[in-house]
Amino acid sequence: MTPEFLLSAIIFLPSLGALILSFLDSKAVDAFRIGTLVVTAVTFGLTLMLWSQFSYDEPGIQMLVEADWVKTWNIYYRLGVDGISLPLVVLTGLVSMLAAIASWSINKQHKGYFILFLLLETGMMGVFLALDFFLFFVFWEVMLLPMYFLIGIWGGPRKEYAAIKFFLYTLVGGVLMLVAMLMFYFNTGGTTDSFNLIELAKVASGTSETLTQTLSPNMQITAFILLFIGFAIKLPAFPVHTWLPDAHVEAPTPISMILAGVLLKLGGYGIIRVAFPLCPYGAAYAAYALVAIGVISIIYGAFAALAQTDFKRLVAYSSVSHMGYVLIGLGVWKIVEATGETQNSDMWLMGINGAMFQMIAHGISSAGMFFMVGVIYDRVHHRDLNKFGGLMGRMPLYSGLAAGLFFAGLGLPGLCGFIGEIFVVLSTWNFNPTLAIVAASGVILTAGYILWALQRVYLGPEYRGPHAEDIKPIEAREATVGVILLALAIVFGVFPGILFNVMEHSTAELVEGMKLGYEQAASQVSTTLQAMR
Amino acid sequence: MSDLNLYLYVGAFLFVCGVICMATKRNGIGVLMGVELVLNGANVNFVAFSRYSELKLDGQVFAVFVIVLAAAEAAVALAIALNFYNNHLTIDVDRGNKLKG
Amino acid sequence: MSGDSLSKWLMIAWLLPLLGFVVEIFFGYYSRNPRRSKAAAWFAVGCIGTGFICSVIAFTQWCSMTGAFDGESGWLAARVHAHDADDNDADDNDADDNDADDNDAEHHDGHSGHDDGEAKGHDSDDSSPSDAAGAAEAPAEEEAASDEAAVLREGGHLLAVAEDEGDDHSHGHDGPKGEFSGVIYTLGTFGGITLSMDYYIDSLTLVMFMMVTLIATCIHLFAMGYMSDELTDDYVDHFAHTADGKHVHRPGRFYRFFAFLSLFCFAMLGLVLAGNIFQVFVFWELVGICSFLLIGFYTERKTASNAANKAFIMNRVGDFGFLIGLMVLLTYFGTFRFGDTKVDGEVVEQGLFSMVTRDATGNFVRDDITGEVLLTDTHGHALTEGGENRTIPYMLLVVAGLGVFAGCVGKSAQFPLQTWLPDAMEGPTPVSALVHSATMVAAGVYLTGRFFPMFVQEVLLTIAYIGCITLFMAATIAVVVTDIKKVLAYSTISQLGYMMLGLGVFGWGAGLFHLVTHAFFKSLMFLCSGSVIHGCHHEQEMPKMGGLLKKMPITAITMLVGVCAIAGFPLFLGLHFSGFHSKDAIVASALAFVNANPTHFLLFFLPLLTAGITAFYMFRLWFYTFWGKPRDQHLHDHAHESPWIMTVPLLILAPFAWLCAFGGEQGYLYVLITGNDPSHLHDGVQAVTTGGLTLPGHEAVHAVHSQAGWLAMIAAFSGALLAYLLYGVGIVDLDRMKAQLSKVHGFLLNKWHFDELYDSLFMKPAHKVAAFCAWFDKAVFDNIVHGFAKVGIVIAQWDRVFDEKVVDGFVNLLGDSTKSIGNSLKVVQTGRLRQYVMFIVLGVVTLFAFVFTTFPS
Repeated sequence: MTPEFLLSAIIFLPSLGALILSFLDSKAVDAFRIGTLVVTAVTFGLTLMLWSQFSYDEPGIQMLVEADWVKTWNIYYRLGVDGISLPLVVLTGLVSMLAAIASWSINKQHKGYFILFLLLETGMMGVFLALDFFLFFVFWEVMLLPMYFLIGIWGGPRKEYAAIKFFLYTLVGGVLMLVAMLMFYFNTGGTTDSFNLIELAKVASGTSETLTQTLSPNMQITAFILLFIGFAIKLPAFPVHTWLPDAHVEAPTPISMILAGVLLKLGGYGIIRVAFPLCPYGAAYAAYALVAIGVISIIYGAFAALAQTDFKRLVAYSSVSHMGYVLIGLGVWKIVEATGETQNSDMWLMGINGAMFQMIAHGISSAGMFFMVGVIYDRVHHRDLNKFGGLMGRMPLYSGLAAGLFFAGLGLPGLCGFIGEIFVVLSTWNFNPTLAIVAASGVILTAGYILWALQRVYLGPEYRGPHAEDIKPIEAREATVGVILLALAIVFGVFPGILFNVMEHSTAELVEGMKLGYEQAASQVSTTLQAMR
Repeated sequence: MSDLNLYLYVGAFLFVCGVICMATKRNGIGVLMGVELVLNGANVNFVAFSRYSELKLDGQVFAVFVIVLAAAEAAVALAIALNFYNNHLTIDVDRGNKLKG
Repeated sequence: MSGDSLSKWLMIAWLLPLLGFVVEIFFGYYSRNPRRSKAAAWFAVGCIGTGFICSVIAFTQWCSMTGAFDGESGWLAARVHAHDADDNDADDNDADDNDADDNDAEHHDGHSGHDDGEAKGHDSDDSSPSDAAGAAEAPAEEEAASDEAAVLREGGHLLAVAEDEGDDHSHGHDGPKGEFSGVIYTLGTFGGITLSMDYYIDSLTLVMFMMVTLIATCIHLFAMGYMSDELTDDYVDHFAHTADGKHVHRPGRFYRFFAFLSLFCFAMLGLVLAGNIFQVFVFWELVGICSFLLIGFYTERKTASNAANKAFIMNRVGDFGFLIGLMVLLTYFGTFRFGDTKVDGEVVEQGLFSMVTRDATGNFVRDDITGEVLLTDTHGHALTEGGENRTIPYMLLVVAGLGVFAGCVGKSAQFPLQTWLPDAMEGPTPVSALVHSATMVAAGVYLTGRFFPMFVQEVLLTIAYIGCITLFMAATIAVVVTDIKKVLAYSTISQLGYMMLGLGVFGWGAGLFHLVTHAFFKSLMFLCSGSVIHGCHHEQEMPKMGGLLKKMPITAITMLVGVCAIAGFPLFLGLHFSGFHSKDAIVASALAFVNANPTHFLLFFLPLLTAGITAFYMFRLWFYTFWGKPRDQHLHDHAHESPWIMTVPLLILAPFAWLCAFGGEQGYLYVLITGNDPSHLHDGVQAVTTGGLTLPGHEAVHAVHSQAGWLAMIAAFSGALLAYLLYGVGIVDLDRMKAQLSKVHGFLLNKWHFDELYDSLFMKPAHKVAAFCAWFDKAVFDNIVHGFAKVGIVIAQWDRVFDEKVVDGFVNLLGDSTKSIGNSLKVVQTGRLRQYVMFIVLGVVTLFAFVFTTFPS
């Protein structure tokens, strides 16, 4: 299988699966379940194959695919993978597969559900692999629709509200991205590479051979803000995070897993793949805001989580809190104003790597947490934290797995959450000690809300809520999901090098490119200033 | 010129007779006859103009066309009249007011 | 033998408990009869016991590699003062102390004390002493060992190995002796920053390894007896109630307990082995979570899970400070490693400890221009970057030090984060013994000691005061507490305060010395209390006990050993109790410090006073429990001595508690611990004045040693005497005394009201803020979003109106008007043929008339 074909196969295999499923009789429930599982498993296998073919030492894009699409508008079908997207692609494959296993609990309109589920996977894979801005945008929107229906049809009591809220929020982000995309297209002269993300990044750092024009520093700032808002909504960052708790609470368990495990990562990925390399000057300009928003997200999310009585809502707010670290890690770019040089760029590099790691870690731990909430919800049909208790005695294996995954979310060393958080926080002092201290104080709050939740749900003498008779030990199917996630949390927590090795060259190249880009734009600015004098 | 006027008077007379016939006769056949008179009045004019003006044969050709048309029209009109009769057992045109707005 | 195999042995000792954990946690799923089998416990004991053996093997290797005890001229052996221990008495001891005022290095005596095998158990057996004298300078064998070790390969790096003794540094500080460090594996590399799992082995590491594994082995054994009531399918928890008031029934969790214990041992040993401060933090947290799991072992009890949460969150508060320290260190030093990284003997990356250099006066070397602290290489030369000297602002060094110390405060339950430790007594007693007295809480002291080279004077003073406040406060509370375990818990806090104080007043060796001795006697006492609790069927209130001496003689006697040790009694059968030596060392350091800095007089008087209080409350505990008449006859009748599996550990630990500090500051233990004393004030330096603070040198401490020793002894004896009079003889009515001092009593009983203070200062506000955030999210953000939605809907409604009224109206108007015109015209359409003809005629006539009138020509 050629690498080029592999990329397309990863994206479109789920769609193909959806197509086949659409021919099946809608009563063949098991066929849908198993079919989806097989398709997602094969897709996951393909992503692993991609990993095996990936060359660690190559910093740039690998396995580039380029084909005409809409030639009149210079839109191409460009795919590729590098150290930044590869871990996320594999994560998507994994989480989709586990979510497919978790989808056994879906109990109505199976056909539509599984078809939409597979289409969703296509959209997610597409976003991570696309290297053409337009294609990126298309996949971005493709992902939106299945998600809307998955929440809106198979969701909880307020599903319509949540679905609309999710849809509108994301759409706003999409529109802003569209505007920025057109800015880039027309300001680079609308040539064949004007939608090419690689070339756009190169031209921003002044190393492009095919593009000559680019955005002025001021326009870079505008474009960055537009893109950033778009991606921050997806991330989600304070104060545009409020779609998340509703969407999570109403979405069915597997969809929550995907939402937390993959969709939130699109925001971070968008920043690191699009917003950052395309507007280095804008990124440097907004660095402080990025870190500050990240810090606020951490603290605010943690506090909000502390106050929740809905188990799933608590986990949702913990996502807001955890994704704040991603924003911080990306933003800790300290520039010495006098010289325009980056101060201690290794720290920033560490921050970016930490942020990337945090995305993967959160993908594992929060998917796990949502799944664990789902398992108990399937049994007792409520999520009120004050009406649990004593599950440790009733469901020991489940409680053990859940405790492990929640500890991963808490940032316990030896589990994946720790590495991302700690590396990000450590890189922050160099940027701004005050923000660093505030960010670090998040560890206390995180411990507070997670331990308190664990205490209320799993510990205590007895279960205090309704449907006590339905509490049965965890099934093998459910245990499989939990064990896989927990095992990965441990592996990545103990050997984070597995991931850092994949991404270190790509992130280093990103940092170098952005430094160049900033210096170029800054010199442009200073020349303009001198000319004005 | 006075010769032409004579012919034109004849034509006009025929035309007016035809019109009056059409306007007054309630019998469909009578109306048809009025139409013939009108056509022939026009024919007289055509022929007269072809004789006394630059029209030459053109006027006469028109006249021949009108005669042919009149024959065809008579055939169609008679068929209509027959059908009308079949439906209404009369050929009183005043009975045929289905097209009233 | 090589540093490679040395680290391998320690790593085996470190990883075995992890293996144990993994096996034991899955035990329940693979064993046929998991609830009633002791297999998991035996496995755990096997792991930790093997770990102890590995540690000892590593120690012997270390000794022979570094030549520490090669004859009496080995660089450590030379410091072991000849001790006529067998017929020593108090007076002789003082004479020895006076002798010791001379420089240690000058003391070479005929027999280096390794004939005291029974006292020094593991040490002397393994140190392979030889008789012949040698040169005081680095012996050839050591050189060879270092060279051999220098080419070891581990994880792709050639490693740093024992620096040899002769390497003289320009600033007069000796490089660490017998220090081995290296990389286990790399976590991540970011440009010039590498974070990795390292190991750092020196004499302190080895002592800690042996101490932890030995104590843990004993406690594992003890726990097999203590926890045996978990060996059932139906365990009745008398302290947890369901809603209908019944006791909770649950399956026993014997194997799970041992799994957690094993995990804890793994984490603790990892913490000790850690070669960088980041790694310490990793295991620091793991230790914390093990503590959480073990405190909350009785998950059904609300109090237990509350205590577990409290412990972990309080620790996290400290870790928050730790994290800040880490941030500063990484930002300015660019590394977390303690030791230098070497390739082929060349330093390729500086470790933290060699990056700051103290000058002859004990101050950190500063940059001439900026006045900031200079970062240096191993030889004290400034490190440069881009032509400029690398420096760190002095204030940030203070911040880093305070930050790391904040972590230690949390872990060692120092003021103001001390409140979790007494609550942690909710855990089973073996846990209290292992985790909350002997090892985990000691980790804070260990780290303070390990990180000592980085502490500036301000930080040290803070440490001293924190320790001082803690030791006094905890001791006062211990006086009134009646729960036997809580007395011990407060005494633990108090003793940890002593250790911190010792470190803070520059008595590095004294603090860590006390750490080790305390570990032995406190684990012993906790196990004894466990034995009492087990024997009294889970009764922990001392007022219900009394007169248990006859019922459980072994427990009572071993407990008495522990009590004497902690009280700091000298002399029993001619040998001093370990606590006497170590507490003496601390009090002496404090006295020397106070002599030099009279303004800080509290740092001596409070510990001295507390020494008396300690003796008082410890003897109170003993008399309360074992002496006098039974206060609860029913309890007394059913009390029994514990089975052998619980008493054997007591009998193993008791000699250690008594004798482990044998020889005092000239004994093996102290010398071994201080093999790498980083305070650099050992030799030749009388005192150092810095920033308004005078740090006493070793001689200054020795000068006051006997004075301090006498004072402490008097305090201890008077405390013990008072306890005997009050509780042993009962000269006054205790209840009346309580009533008379009810305010003080209440204040102490309520733990100085710290719990209430924190509750109202932090917990409640945190919940309020949390509620506010949740409300804000719903009330503000959601309403903004809803507002946008409403605006959208309103606009849409207007849009609908416009569409329906204006656009549609226009189109309809056109249609309607056309229709009405047609309607009005249809009158003409009569269908009458003749009429039409008439119209035509009329029309034609009109047309003609019009044409002719308009165009007359």
